[in-house]
Amino acid sequence: MKTHLVALSLLAAGALLAAPEIPAPCCRPAAPAAGPCCAPETKPAPAPCCVELKAERPLTERSLYQHDAVWTSDAGRPVKLASLRGEPVIVAMFFASCEYACPVLVHDLQRARALLAPEVRAKARVVLVTFDTRRDTPEALRAFRTRFELDSMWVLLRGTETAVQDLAMLLGVKYKLDARGQYAHSNLLTVLNAEGEIVHQHAGLMGDVSEVARKVAALVPVE
Amino acid sequence: MIVHAPVAFSAMKPFHLLSFLPGPLAVALVAALLPAGAVRGEEAAGLVLIPAGVHEPVLRGQDEPRQVAVAPFLLEARPVTNAEFLAFVRDQPKWRRSRVAPLFADAGYLAHWAGDLELGPKAPAEAPVVRVSWFAARAYAAAKGRRLPTTAEWERAAAAGFRGERGADEPEYRRVALGWLAQPSPDVLPAVGSRRASVHGVHDLLDLVWEWVDDFNTTMTTGESRGDTGLERTLFCGAGAAGAQDLTNYPAFMRAGMRSALRARYVVPNLGFRCALSP
Repeated sequence: MKTHLVALSLLAAGALLAAPEIPAPCCRPAAPAAGPCCAPETKPAPAPCCVELKAERPLTERSLYQHDAVWTSDAGRPVKLASLRGEPVIVAMFFASCEYACPVLVHDLQRARALLAPEVRAKARVVLVTFDTRRDTPEALRAFRTRFELDSMWVLLRGTETAVQDLAMLLGVKYKLDARGQYAHSNLLTVLNAEGEIVHQHAGLMGDVSEVARKVAALVPVE
Repeated sequence: MIVHAPVAFSAMKPFHLLSFLPGPLAVALVAALLPAGAVRGEEAAGLVLIPAGVHEPVLRGQDEPRQVAVAPFLLEARPVTNAEFLAFVRDQPKWRRSRVAPLFADAGYLAHWAGDLELGPKAPAEAPVVRVSWFAARAYAAAKGRRLPTTAEWERAAAAGFRGERGADEPEYRRVALGWLAQPSPDVLPAVGSRRASVHGVHDLLDLVWEWVDDFNTTMTTGESRGDTGLERTLFCGAGAAGAQDLTNYPAFMRAGMRSALRARYVVPNLGFRCALSP
């Protein structure tokens, strides 16, 4: 069991380095100039800057990215939360077969995104992590993405029960599998800054999400 | 649920003859053969076998069953002590007071200890360790090859009386359980094991400290007591509308209320933990 996990992590780490699904923005080849996060002045930049970042700057004490489980995206690729480092993120937990709250939760997130200026919207990702470790296969998540017309800024993840529990604990999300196979859960939107630290949480559905949008916008430097 | 197979197996060692049986069956057989609480192999490891039983949640959704079956499991007879937790942080420096990441434990973590590796007068070696976060408690359990009990397991064990399975039927049980709630916790806690054992041989469940459970975050009440506002229906999806079912079990209500107010990084002056193990 343990060896499997280790092997999986190694495999995943390898895959992450080889083909990072969510490159930090400073790693994008199209970036017009290196952002301040890359600080290439001191060195001739022999390696891609995101690798350097990972190697040289440890995560902050309050970074959720210390949670280093390997998730699987709806594309079937391994993803670590730390690969989201560098730009603000809105995280929510959900499950794809949810009949009531989750469609509303997604709608709330879409409303919050609609309030963002285009340049902010192009940087701030939404991460949806499923509670449902059994039914929400990558295929089920892909179907969810199609159904709600979620573009590439939306990251859909599934993980092990332990990884889901850990993330829920870190976010303060409550959840419980009920007798009908539905998850009762908190409806909580969490805004993370570029370092993966919680800067804002919004509880409830169909509420005023403008504060969520403001908090996200405040995390993107004006150019 | 994580099952630490090798450890579970070693816990079964005294019953080699039964090892050909599926684990739960073997334990059920052992439980049938031995008086409750006298499972010798586990006793050495501080564990007590809690036979199969039921948990009756005091808060549950409309469609949830009144009773939840609880499979046999092993539970530590006493909460984890300061001395035991000290050994753990010696071994794992990242859980020492000065090093723990604030993500995993609030300020106040082990604040009553005299130092990183020094207990001091407010934390007697044999007193239960408190002011530990859920993350720290779980890391301790994992280091021992164990886990935290689930809410259902913990409540099932605590519902047993001193003489029989139904503590609620014993006046002495009710007196002890309610009596503890009526008293403030002392600054310096008494030693673990100092409280009368349940019929299964588990001490201190009712009247020493509150205890973490693995899935404390499954307890949802109407309107979070953490200050969120708004209607419950908007806070929780589906069956989150947990209603009160049995108004007579006041201590269980208090525990549910306590759990619903916690977050995993919180540390509380009278909240400790004990470990469990699946057979």
